[in-house]
Amino acid sequence: MSTEPIGLARDLAPKGVMRAQVGQTDLAIWRSTNGVVSAWENRCPHRGMRLSHGFVRGESLACAYHGWHYDCSGKCNYIPAHPELEPPSTIRPNIYSVVEQAGILWVNTVADAKPVSLPNDLIALRSITLDCNLPSAIDAFKAAAKVDAALFNGTVTELSQHPKILSLESPSGANGIVILFQQPHPKSVVAHLLAKDVYQTNELVAVSRWCESVRHKAEQQ
Amino acid sequence: MSGYDHALKYWYPVAMADELDTGQSKHTKLLNTDIVVSRSNDERLDVNAAGKSLAVQHAYGHAWTTFSDTPYPLFAIPESSEQERRFVPCGVVRVSCSPLRAVENFLDIAHFPFVHTGVLGSEPHTEVYKYDVKIDETVDEVFATNIKFFQPQASKSAEGGIETEYIYRVPAPMAAVLYKTCPPKPECLDVIALFVQPLDEETCDVWPWMALYDDTSSMADLIQFQQLIFVQDRSILENQMPRKLPIDPGHEIPTKADLTSIAYRRWLKKRGAYYGAFERS
Repeated sequence: MSTEPIGLARDLAPKGVMRAQVGQTDLAIWRSTNGVVSAWENRCPHRGMRLSHGFVRGESLACAYHGWHYDCSGKCNYIPAHPELEPPSTIRPNIYSVVEQAGILWVNTVADAKPVSLPNDLIALRSITLDCNLPSAIDAFKAAAKVDAALFNGTVTELSQHPKILSLESPSGANGIVILFQQPHPKSVVAHLLAKDVYQTNELVAVSRWCESVRHKAEQQ
Repeated sequence: MSGYDHALKYWYPVAMADELDTGQSKHTKLLNTDIVVSRSNDERLDVNAAGKSLAVQHAYGHAWTTFSDTPYPLFAIPESSEQERRFVPCGVVRVSCSPLRAVENFLDIAHFPFVHTGVLGSEPHTEVYKYDVKIDETVDEVFATNIKFFQPQASKSAEGGIETEYIYRVPAPMAAVLYKTCPPKPECLDVIALFVQPLDEETCDVWPWMALYDDTSSMADLIQFQQLIFVQDRSILENQMPRKLPIDPGHEIPTKADLTSIAYRRWLKKRGAYYGAFERS
């Protein structure tokens, strides 16, 4: 499994916990009070509870069931039922590689996460989930970009050769968006949108709404 | 004998005894089999599976049935004949989890401060003190005794936080009985039982039933209290992976507080009670 974009970094605030799916792996992604991001198998080793239901206390994630605390390295450091006990170091969830780059959280469940390199004039705008397969999602964005080319100064060019990235630009390269596709399930696609930093706020709103209209078209096919 | 064959030997609750008017029926499921519960007269409920009439008995506020012609006897709850008690069938909660996970959760106290916050537990009162667990060989039941835990609202009848004493008893793979401090009558113990109807290995209907000393609370309040507790438990039970209960050591890591759970899993394995277990017999 390659390195996957699973969400926008800013959508995971300090003390936040979210859930993601990469391949067959259900993940709990969380950010400590000091800002450290971790990506773990979504299962507490104690009684199998999904850690994405847990809560952050300082630099630890606590399981919702019995409050067992795990530090940013995955080590269990507190069992509330036995406050004096030093938990054995063997108690830890499976942990995975996660990095933040270009405003995106990238996860790899088998090796170190190596994000795709992207232009540095992009800002992460939003993530949107489409209930369709990956080819339908990509085709819908390509088709809509040609029709609604005003967002790209009238003419749109497709740049990326990467199978799960669509880069749409004006011929001058001044305007454009990049869409990172991730497929958590066979019939579900998450599109992470990044836009060139030249867009004004009202234009970003227009890009965001355009993506929603693309979703409707993709899901109706 | 497979886990399914083993499970066929027991009685299971399928309705409250006063459910359904005469002439009414309902469709439900037991051990992967569609069944129909109906009331042909005022006295009793009937249960049918594929047109065949099943044995029925009424006990502890519920109608119980079995597929077996030679079932194990339904376990006894002697307190059910103490007429001063209030008998409270609490209705049903459907849960997408193994029936064994539902029972195990009922036997667990360490989750009280986190799942039943402000009711059955609260931080910083999280410590689980040493307690005793044994398999009573004469009746072949699991017993956990000498459990003490601080509870902010131990029951509807409790006024403020108290140190509550618990005794757990597992008389059948899919039933558990709790004896706990009775706030208005400290010399006696309230009884709260959990009867589980296994629809299939990953879905169950849970029927809580209580036999309490409480002359003041309304029936609706007593039921509401227990339903609140169990709906809180459901938020956990439907998010445990795998949905079936791992009964071999190694899949999940217990601690000292889990002695009852450890004994329950061993006891299930020893009897071949693999229906709802992660492992196959």
